Amino acid sequence: MGQIEFHNVYMRYPSGFEALKDVSLVLEEGSMTFLTGHSGAGKTTLLKLLLCVTRPTQGQILVNDVNISQLGSRQLHYYRQNLGAVFQDHNLLGARTVFDNVALPLRVAGMGERDVGRRVRAALTRVGLLQRESLLPMQLSIGEQQRVGIARAVVSRPKILLADEPTGNLDPELSRDIMALFQQFNHVGATVIVASHDRSLIESMDKPVVELDHGVLLRGRPDGPPSSYDA
Amino acid sequence: MLQFTSNRAATSLLVWTLVGIALALPAGLMLTQANLSRLAADWGGRPGISVYFELGAKDAPLLAMRLDQQPEVESVVLTSQDEALREFLQHTNLHDALADLETNPLPASLRVNVAASLTADQLDAMAVRLRKENGVAEVMVERTWLERINAASRLAQRLGWVLGVLFGVGTVLISATTVRLAIEAQLDELKVMKLVGASNAQIRRPFLYFGVFYGVGGGLFAAVLLSLGLLALETPLRGLLGSFNETLELRGFDILFVLALLATGGALGVAGAVLAVRQRLFRLEVL
Ligand SMILES: Nc1ncnc2c1ncn2[C@@H]1O[C@H](COP(=O)(O)OP(=O)(O)O)[C@@H](O)[C@H]1O
Ligand SMILES: [Mg+2]
Repeated sequence: MGQIEFHNVYMRYPSGFEALKDVSLVLEEGSMTFLTGHSGAGKTTLLKLLLCVTRPTQGQILVNDVNISQLGSRQLHYYRQNLGAVFQDHNLLGARTVFDNVALPLRVAGMGERDVGRRVRAALTRVGLLQRESLLPMQLSIGEQQRVGIARAVVSRPKILLADEPTGNLDPELSRDIMALFQQFNHVGATVIVASHDRSLIESMDKPVVELDHGVLLRGRPDGPPSSYDA
Repeated sequence: MLQFTSNRAATSLLVWTLVGIALALPAGLMLTQANLSRLAADWGGRPGISVYFELGAKDAPLLAMRLDQQPEVESVVLTSQDEALREFLQHTNLHDALADLETNPLPASLRVNVAASLTADQLDAMAVRLRKENGVAEVMVERTWLERINAASRLAQRLGWVLGVLFGVGTVLISATTVRLAIEAQLDELKVMKLVGASNAQIRRPFLYFGVFYGVGGGLFAAVLLSLGLLALETPLRGLLGSFNETLELRGFDILFVLALLATGGALGVAGAVLAVRQRLFRLEVL
């Protein structure tokens, strides 16, 4: 699992707003790609489609040649277990500790508590929050909450990692650390997509870039790896 | 956190009380019905006819002998005028008042116990025949109480079913509403769980357990209510039944009954939870 293909994808919200128009692209398995574009360009929408939170109004999205719009609820839960996602608004559980939040994907997948503890602490160490494991999310700064979300996304070592503005609330140094973490992930085989409008960060990474403009894809071809960012 | 748990405890207590009352009423009626029909069956085993003779009539012993030879008669107990008076005096303190009487005002009587297999019609026919016998003043078929008890038993059964259905539906709705509130309270958490790959079954399971928890707890509460009710009714019932020489022994409220009550509560609770889960979780939007 890891190759992602969009074929002439349209996404129209119930309000009638067309957030994506005729988007076609291929992201190879094991690639790391930046998704950029102005605010409202459709970056989050594209990631939501990959998460199967919404379905395209037209076109197909294939992940490893499987049309994810047609997954049944049972298949969907396996698909999502292989997917890590960092959300813009963290989506942390307020009544659960940092540890429990990060442990959630592992427990959902039925992992034993000993392994859960080991994996969670490894992930928290990577985002520098090991000492915070027993705190509640609201006792953390926004940036720290962001990192808890990142730890939760990577803890189950997903084949595909989606990150929506993961460094939005982080200082430049921490942002680079997080990017390095994603890159390590990518090196061991995960397909990584990072939505970001932080141009300096993107430039520093030297990775393929896909740009959206009012729901239309500017860079990235359906028949090959996207071209490098060169603006 | 503390607020949350104390709220949860208060909710559970409330639900248990509601479900407990809803289950206790029909269950109590069913118990009543079971005991009434047992009582009726016990009595039905020895239906009988009482024959009262005119004062001074001498026909009682002869009739008793004749009746005793009939196959449908199991036994005949003769109470002569003297015996009737003696018994009466034994049971009352009216010695002095009656000592003044010149004649014995109590009639001789026969208590005819007939075979249990005798139908009501046959019993009536027998009474008609007895009424024509010499010296007979009055014949009473002792079936009125039996009929009343049977009627009461049928009524209790009907009422039990009607209330059972009504309160059963009520229990399902109580459970559904409570579980739905629990779902609403955890919606954010459920969305995140779905997003990290929880299956529908995983999301559903804790709420089904909630349903069982509420239902079985309600069943337990109903059992407590019923045993308290029985305790309260025991003395007056003993008085009532004692007058019919019936020893009070309420049956049916045993471990099996309590288990059935718990199982019923649990099943209704789960039914409500399933309803709530269907209503709410299948339309769960993830973001
Ligand atoms: N649920 C929604 N209903 C209607 N319009 C939406 C919804 N979500 C997003 N949009 C619109 O779709 C466009 C793209 O949004 P989004 O994908 O969030 O952009 P980005 O993440 O690039 O800022 C925006 O104009 C936004 O207003
Ligand atoms: Mg966005």
